[in-house]
Amino acid sequence: MKYFQPKNIRDAVEFAKTSEAVFLAGGTDLVLQMRTGKIQPMALIDLGKIPELRVIQEANGSLEIGSMVTFAEMGQNELVYKYAHALWRACQTMGSPQIRNQATLGGNLGNCSPAADGLPPLLALGAEVQLCSGKGEEIVAVESLLKRTPLLSRDTLIQGFRIPLKGLQSGFAKLGRRQALAIARLSVAVAMEVDGDVATQVRIALGAVGKRAFLSVDLARELTGQKVNEAWIEKGIEQVQQVVRDALGARASAPYKRVAVAGILREALASFIPEGGLKI
Amino acid sequence: MMDIKLVVNNKSHILTIDPSERLLDVLRNRLGLIGTKEGCGEGECGACTVILDGKTVNACLVLAAQADGSVITTIEGVGNRRRPHPVQKAFVEVGAVQCGFCTPGMVLSAKNLLDKKSQPSDAEIAVAMSGNLCRCTGYDKILRAVKRASLEGKE
Repeated sequence: MKYFQPKNIRDAVEFAKTSEAVFLAGGTDLVLQMRTGKIQPMALIDLGKIPELRVIQEANGSLEIGSMVTFAEMGQNELVYKYAHALWRACQTMGSPQIRNQATLGGNLGNCSPAADGLPPLLALGAEVQLCSGKGEEIVAVESLLKRTPLLSRDTLIQGFRIPLKGLQSGFAKLGRRQALAIARLSVAVAMEVDGDVATQVRIALGAVGKRAFLSVDLARELTGQKVNEAWIEKGIEQVQQVVRDALGARASAPYKRVAVAGILREALASFIPEGGLKI
Repeated sequence: MMDIKLVVNNKSHILTIDPSERLLDVLRNRLGLIGTKEGCGEGECGACTVILDGKTVNACLVLAAQADGSVITTIEGVGNRRRPHPVQKAFVEVGAVQCGFCTPGMVLSAKNLLDKKSQPSDAEIAVAMSGNLCRCTGYDKILRAVKRASLEGKE
């Protein structure tokens, strides 16, 4: 197996074009998949030595997060705390300290596990992803990208993410089998625009409900333009249970997740909305 | 094959490795540092925890090639029988060691926490140790040992 360690994005894309190489981000999933034989790459392109992929900054009306920024770095970053609170919260509970020190947001998308902790927050926050391949650059909403199959061609590099600074309030909660080192059995990210005590825009994304994280259009429609109070939360719970029922169908986990999602949505909302709802 | 440079426990090494070798394999098999344990081999247990450029990582999930140019601390670089690190001393005094297999990883997570914050809260200790599993001692004594180490010389 060959190993490339490019110093800039151009070289990384060039290696990918001319070899059967696979991109290596933090490696917490890929190293394991190589070990078990699930993936047997001819060559690896290690993105760990490209400084421009490691930047978190506020620019052009967005919060920009490079694909090689680790969960630990995001979880300790004030801009992420302020502008992408759901993502910040997801960073506190993803994996373990050791995994958070190594795992990256770009890798979380590239591997695209159903339980990926980073994806529901990106969906709820309306993030875009910047891709780069031999064909050029592309900026696409995470929501649209997650509907593609395959997700990415082998030679497409995830450069970074842009989260619009629209003053969204957001939160996140996940259900695991234990507190730490838990793969999400269910995760919920909520982002909303608020005017007084009314939610003028609501975006709710679910993880570990089906093959990939997704944004629920139905939920958004049902909950937008209403006063945020206990009745609103109850309505959200009723609706989210329907969404999970529809998404999981007859799967074995369906009866459990359909009930459990009520508590997880409540927890995700409570992570940024005071008890009883918004008051003026 | 490729050449990498590692500084492990303040000693510089230039090694010719296969790119698929994990940092764990290189530490144990090439450098003979067998204090770093392989537990689950999939990043769940933290027995293989080492400090890489000031951050704890699972050596079973990092390729040695990724660590090229890094500074690494393993349990062998923390202390020894005659001169134990305050964390090691506290683990012995509190009885936070039973079979001992998870202990090197536990000690490195605790040491790294105390290097960054000498007086952590109980909650901070719990988070810092949350990536290390123990199946026999129980966590109470381990957390107490870290607390005790943080209070060393301050009582």
